[in-house]
Amino acid sequence: MSHSIMIMCEQSEGRILAVTDELIACATQIADHYDSRLTAVLPGLITEPCSISGADLLVINSPGLAQYTCEGWEKAALLATEQIKPKIIIIAHTSTGYDYAPRLAALLEGCCLTSVSGIEITGDSISYRRSGFHGKLDLLYGVGKAPLVITVLPGAFPAPDWQAEPGITRIIDADIKPKLTSHVQFSIPDQSNTELDHAEVIVAAGKGIGQAENLLMIRDMASCFKRSAIAGSRVACDNGWIEYNAQVGLTGKKVSPLLYVACGISGSAQHISGMKDSKTVVSINRDPEAAIFRYSDICIVEDLEKFIPAFLQEAKKHQS
Amino acid sequence: MRILTCIKQVPDPESRPMINQEKTWAEYGEYTSYWINRYDEHAVEEALRIREMIPGTTVDIVSIGPERIKSAIRRCLEMGADRGFHLFIDSEDYLSPSIKSRLIAEFCHDMKYDLILTGVMSEDMMSGQTGPMLAARLGIPSATSVMKLSVNGLEGSIQVERELDSGHRCSMDLTLPALVGVQSGINRPRYPSLSNVMRAKNTEIIQIRLENSLLKVVSCETVEKIQEAGSDRAGIRLEGTTAEKAAVLWRMLREKSLL
Repeated sequence: MSHSIMIMCEQSEGRILAVTDELIACATQIADHYDSRLTAVLPGLITEPCSISGADLLVINSPGLAQYTCEGWEKAALLATEQIKPKIIIIAHTSTGYDYAPRLAALLEGCCLTSVSGIEITGDSISYRRSGFHGKLDLLYGVGKAPLVITVLPGAFPAPDWQAEPGITRIIDADIKPKLTSHVQFSIPDQSNTELDHAEVIVAAGKGIGQAENLLMIRDMASCFKRSAIAGSRVACDNGWIEYNAQVGLTGKKVSPLLYVACGISGSAQHISGMKDSKTVVSINRDPEAAIFRYSDICIVEDLEKFIPAFLQEAKKHQS
Repeated sequence: MRILTCIKQVPDPESRPMINQEKTWAEYGEYTSYWINRYDEHAVEEALRIREMIPGTTVDIVSIGPERIKSAIRRCLEMGADRGFHLFIDSEDYLSPSIKSRLIAEFCHDMKYDLILTGVMSEDMMSGQTGPMLAARLGIPSATSVMKLSVNGLEGSIQVERELDSGHRCSMDLTLPALVGVQSGINRPRYPSLSNVMRAKNTEIIQIRLENSLLKVVSCETVEKIQEAGSDRAGIRLEGTTAEKAAVLWRMLREKSLL
């Protein structure tokens, strides 16, 4: 059984971003078992020659693709599928990827699996793993004959440290114009938070802290450590407890301190992808099945309001 | 303006899903609490805010599921929504986003909605697919992860601001009808007022029955196996009293020279 596999490059201003190598790594895992052709697709306004290692490259070149629009990328991907006729389309699970991937699947009468974290191959069938049920269970999905679109969690498939031979590059000059989308403008809010980048220890608050008053406790805990900073999960930021510039996760910051202390954080895939490279992870949560414990070195099933004061007490004992 | 908000009811994240015998799905115990998916609650709030700005706007709610989801639809009516539609299916089994989006697209067919709002994803499954798939099936533009929304009344368009990775933003205009998947920071959902709670009591939720057999035909992906999530790290669980755990943690961090 042969599979043609299409990979959608993640790009910024026409340059292919590193996460694309992870998509190729995922595709290669499948290709290693079948006689598959890998074709990466690069939509954009491409001015410089380009190629990609480990796959052929199909450039969909159009002035209307100078910047990302859901409509533009959908049209470019549809055009590419006519050429490649893929069985599997691999897209990064980023704010770009999850915006158009499900649409593409619907238009191809196919199916879609988002935030895929692994694949398992047995004989002739491939299963795709993603987490569900609040991150507590792993689900393995099988798919039928229909075309499949998957979005792959950044970091799930490490890019190979060796460079494969670049494939052949082909360019299609297209005239793709978004018709229902206009006045597209990108901005970078001034919310630099270098504190998090330099912190050796990050104490992060989640929904479990319950109320703003408990932040004091989180700060006290952080002050037990040198070069520490506080951060929060999405919910902590939405509740106004923590500034958005200190949000850790897919939509926030990616951090990798020596120590990450997760306080009352349940551990959604979105949060995990922002902190999983931390050297040591300590989690405190009253739910013994909280997903965060799977990514922790030290797990403490406790109520924060009881545990943190006890820890502060302990710290005080050793100071005196 | 006619607005539809699609909602999902989700179980309390602290409740424990139990894997079935065939290991193909999980169920919750009968004492599990359910509530509206947090992201969808923001979508309902956004719809109500638009109605306050633009006279003559109506806000409908739609949700797919068994009897229990009525309480979530009721809650939206209590928040102030005008009508609630329950696409009834007598099953707790896996229902793919592909099927859900087909069912809602069919429901939308004669309703002529100008704007459809959804949460960016569900808290429990986090697929984030039903919204964009629905938009594609209806042939309308969509935007996900939206943190700001305003209606350009006369131009028949909306302006949205998406949240991108690493906190970057992107704003754009979408021609109506359109679908928007809202991100949780967009607003603060209101608590139902007493008058709305009373009104909701007298508002009937409109139930539309779906044939179970119909759902099987279009099923595309299937859950082959479900298991307790594997661990990325060999975490150790501290035992003992709270004070003992605190002491052990202190010692362990000290040994790692972190304290």
